[in-house]
Amino acid sequence: MSATTTPRGVRTAAGARTGGPTFGRVVASEWTKLTSLRSPWWTGLVTVVAAGALAFMFATASSVDPGFEPTRDLATGLMLAQVGPLVLGVLLGAGEFRTGAARTTFTLVPRRWPVLAAQTVVVAGFALGLAVLTVAATVVGVLPSAVSRDLPLRLTVGDTPGILAGMVLLVVGVTLVGYALGTLLRRTVPALVTALGVVLVLPIVLAMAGDPGGGTMGAAPPHSVTALGTIGAFTPGTAGQLLTTPASYGPMPGMPDVGPVGGGLVLGAWIVLLLTVAAVRLRTRDVR
Amino acid sequence: MTTLDAGRAATRPPRGAPTRPGPTFPRVLAAEWTKLTSVPSNPWLALGTVVVTAGTAYGLGLFVRTGDGRSGSWVVVSGYVVAQLGFLVLGAVVGTAEHTTGTARTTFTAVPRRLPVLGAQAVVVAVAAAVTAVVALGASYLATTGPRAGEAPAVDLAVPGTARALAGFVVLAVAVALLGLALGMLLRRPADAIVTGLVLVFLADFVLAANPGAATDTIRAALPSAGARLLQDDAALAALDTATHGPQLGPWGGGAVIGAWVVVAFCAAGYRLGRHDVR
Repeated sequence: MSATTTPRGVRTAAGARTGGPTFGRVVASEWTKLTSLRSPWWTGLVTVVAAGALAFMFATASSVDPGFEPTRDLATGLMLAQVGPLVLGVLLGAGEFRTGAARTTFTLVPRRWPVLAAQTVVVAGFALGLAVLTVAATVVGVLPSAVSRDLPLRLTVGDTPGILAGMVLLVVGVTLVGYALGTLLRRTVPALVTALGVVLVLPIVLAMAGDPGGGTMGAAPPHSVTALGTIGAFTPGTAGQLLTTPASYGPMPGMPDVGPVGGGLVLGAWIVLLLTVAAVRLRTRDVR
Repeated sequence: MTTLDAGRAATRPPRGAPTRPGPTFPRVLAAEWTKLTSVPSNPWLALGTVVVTAGTAYGLGLFVRTGDGRSGSWVVVSGYVVAQLGFLVLGAVVGTAEHTTGTARTTFTAVPRRLPVLGAQAVVVAVAAAVTAVVALGASYLATTGPRAGEAPAVDLAVPGTARALAGFVVLAVAVALLGLALGMLLRRPADAIVTGLVLVFLADFVLAANPGAATDTIRAALPSAGARLLQDDAALAALDTATHGPQLGPWGGGAVIGAWVVVAFCAAGYRLGRHDVR
């Protein structure tokens, strides 16, 4: 008799103690889901290595210039290395819907939006760690050419702290853009194509249209804000690029002078917009 | 006894595999064509590629002026910068779809020698990409009629290299789609194949171009993105060749580079398909 009553008593106590899926427990389970997959670690590793290798290559290429400044090449390689965080975000956002695990998740958390919020927190946290490692890798990457020219690598003066902070925010922001698109579109390939097209291809198309010299670098014309440049500054890809360009470099061709803070705000606004649309879809539409 | 057995054996209906030949290549080809055309997303992808290509060509054509060193053929084929994503995805989706859904087990049980499937997929993807590219090129030509009648230069076949640039659009589309297919068959996951392909045919070149030098220009010449040189007329190619610090590829070198990439990627995909497990 006591053997049958004891488990029942335990079960009641357990139900009374936990009080359903609290936000902290949802965050904990999402963190377990993310870190127990292999693909985030691989994507992160490739990103860090690619960022370091690109920074090394660019710094080596431009170290022959007389006016070589080691910290100037820090953010260049990130224009390619940001593919990693973007894909990471898309895979994390679309992953549960693709495998069908979303049915289990949303049965356990029927109000649904805590999952979106918790995943956002977890993805941002993972991306922050990745961002710090990526930036560290780029610094290590420019180190050899700085040493070979006996130039000090001053990371705390001038524009450099701003560039480093912008790079960290860019990696986190791009990951969140990918995550929002993945969880909005719920399928890997469409989300991936959209993310790559909007973040990476669209700025290049707009730059092609705005570049009058057929790709050749002529004498710089006087700066004027064009309609095309204004559109460009408000795409997530270019906004992210602006984030890593210090204000003292001046505006990009044809673009309004929004500076790194403006670029960051545009990127942040895109993330909020996409996450809001994703939340509306999650709240009002079926999950299959 | 023996006569009875022989008579029974002669009248018995044949068992096991039918006497007709097994999966011949034309039948594998027909099966792959059905698979390609019966998935709704593929025709939509082709249509989307055509629309986006023509739209991009129209949009870029609005900003081209006669004096800025771009020819009429550049205006018509300028949609390639976006179109390549569509062709790459087409190939990658065909190459990976069966592995993600698990129908690869059925396919390779029916065709145990496996490599005919890869060959048939290459044929159907090449045909689909070529048809899509021709339609996209025609749509781009029509879409840029307005800009070309205005400020942008007209398409003039007398300009050296114009015919190569127009034909190069179709050739390049087929090559990019085949590269996507081979990467998809090799990597078996759509995200991996699309990202690898896009970095190879587009992004790496763009990032490396930001920092010209002997090393970066040599790498750029060896990447499949060098195939985009097929889209340039002779004057633009000469300008590229004088500007580079790496090897000068000439008019057809870029096509040879991307062709070599396609061949190598197919060899790798064929090796993995023939030698390793399909799950």
